[in-house]
Amino acid sequence: MHLFFKIVFFIFLIIQSVSASESSNWLKTEIDFILKAYKNSSTTSESRFLMIENTINYNFAGAGIAKFVAGKAWAGANKNTKKEYLKLFKRHLALNIASMMQGYSDQKYELINNKYDSKSKVSLIDMEIYNDTGSLIVTWRVKKSKERYYIIDLLVADISLVVTKRSEFNSMLKTVNYDLYKFNKLLKDQNESSFNKIIN
Amino acid sequence: MPFLKIIIISFLFFTMPIWAKGSDSVKTSSLDFETSNFEDEIYDPFEPVNRVIFSFNNTADKIILEPVAKGYKKLPPPIQTGIGNFINNLKMPLVIVNQLLQKQGKNAVESSGRFVINSTAGLFGLIDVAEKIGLEQKQEDFGQTLATWGVGDGFYVVLPIFGPSNLRDTTGMVLTYTTDPINYYAVSEGEAWVLPVRTATNAIDQRSKIIDEVNALRDNSLDYYTAVKSSYYQNRKAAILNIDDNSQTPLPLISIEFE
Repeated sequence: MHLFFKIVFFIFLIIQSVSASESSNWLKTEIDFILKAYKNSSTTSESRFLMIENTINYNFAGAGIAKFVAGKAWAGANKNTKKEYLKLFKRHLALNIASMMQGYSDQKYELINNKYDSKSKVSLIDMEIYNDTGSLIVTWRVKKSKERYYIIDLLVADISLVVTKRSEFNSMLKTVNYDLYKFNKLLKDQNESSFNKIIN
Repeated sequence: MPFLKIIIISFLFFTMPIWAKGSDSVKTSSLDFETSNFEDEIYDPFEPVNRVIFSFNNTADKIILEPVAKGYKKLPPPIQTGIGNFINNLKMPLVIVNQLLQKQGKNAVESSGRFVINSTAGLFGLIDVAEKIGLEQKQEDFGQTLATWGVGDGFYVVLPIFGPSNLRDTTGMVLTYTTDPINYYAVSEGEAWVLPVRTATNAIDQRSKIIDEVNALRDNSLDYYTAVKSSYYQNRKAAILNIDDNSQTPLPLISIEFE
């Protein structure tokens, strides 16, 4: 009986380890794809952003994050407003990440750690980015669904992008009485301003 | 003057539980959306005043601190690293005190080792020799100590020049400035200029490490004030809990089935 439990435990460990390396490999491919876009000096800022936006939209759980970030405003909105909000949010997310990448200047990075939390079914992948004066740890939260991976959050210096966005959106939603339709206008204006800063 | 300081510190210390109680009463309601227990709202009763100070700080950052930090970034990397190491080493005596106050005996011994090694073999702290032999740098301050003693955050406050804080961390900061042995020695020797120079150098060194991150947040936030407030609280919470790995930070429940 003891042997049986040992075998089950051993198999469990192997599955965990395979799952961890699989998600790390997937993430590395996607990160390298984005970094390649930054290294290519022949592309314009706009086309570089559009390419990054496609990659981010494909790999992030954009709609799920958008719903979480909207909080209670989500419930009161109609279908078209929600659809418009999702579109605007996905662009907002891409603009945020592209903006963080603006300072990228060929720094080396390494995926140093991958922990799988079987309770939440989320992998936490630590990425160490090296620069001349030290290094920075970025943690990616990755979840598998329908045979593929999605990024559900990004943490820099213990600060979650999703939680910060939720606080920020909640503050602005309060000013429009949690009306998602009115909020979309604010989000659209912000996206336009951010987009202009990125491409210029 | 020292008597006045004691009165102010005592007042802040003893009134904090009252403010903390107010802070703890702010909870989020989840309605139909899935969340874990996030507090959407941080207790910020002086928000209008805080926003004015924040706006002033933001302008000061744009016209003074950020350009200076960008200039600092142009220094050769070993010089930047040396300055950063030197400043961090000066903080060590109080880090050790706070580790002891938090009953972190092992960390206090390691930090003492770090301080001795870096102050001698590391040429007055310019070279982080201790890191190379496995003595990792750990930060503790009076704000964290008060938190581990059960003192609540109190209300959120934006301090002129110093930026985001809360009542507990501001008290911690006052304690740091008044009890730091290096500051005390400099003042007693008639070299009080050391204090603002040390503070400014620390601010420039820290700011130079987050130029892109701050710009990304500033350029893309719908409400930059709230984004900074949320970031401050998340970062402090992790520091108080001594979270070394992010598996312990709260996980937002994102519904992937929705994709």
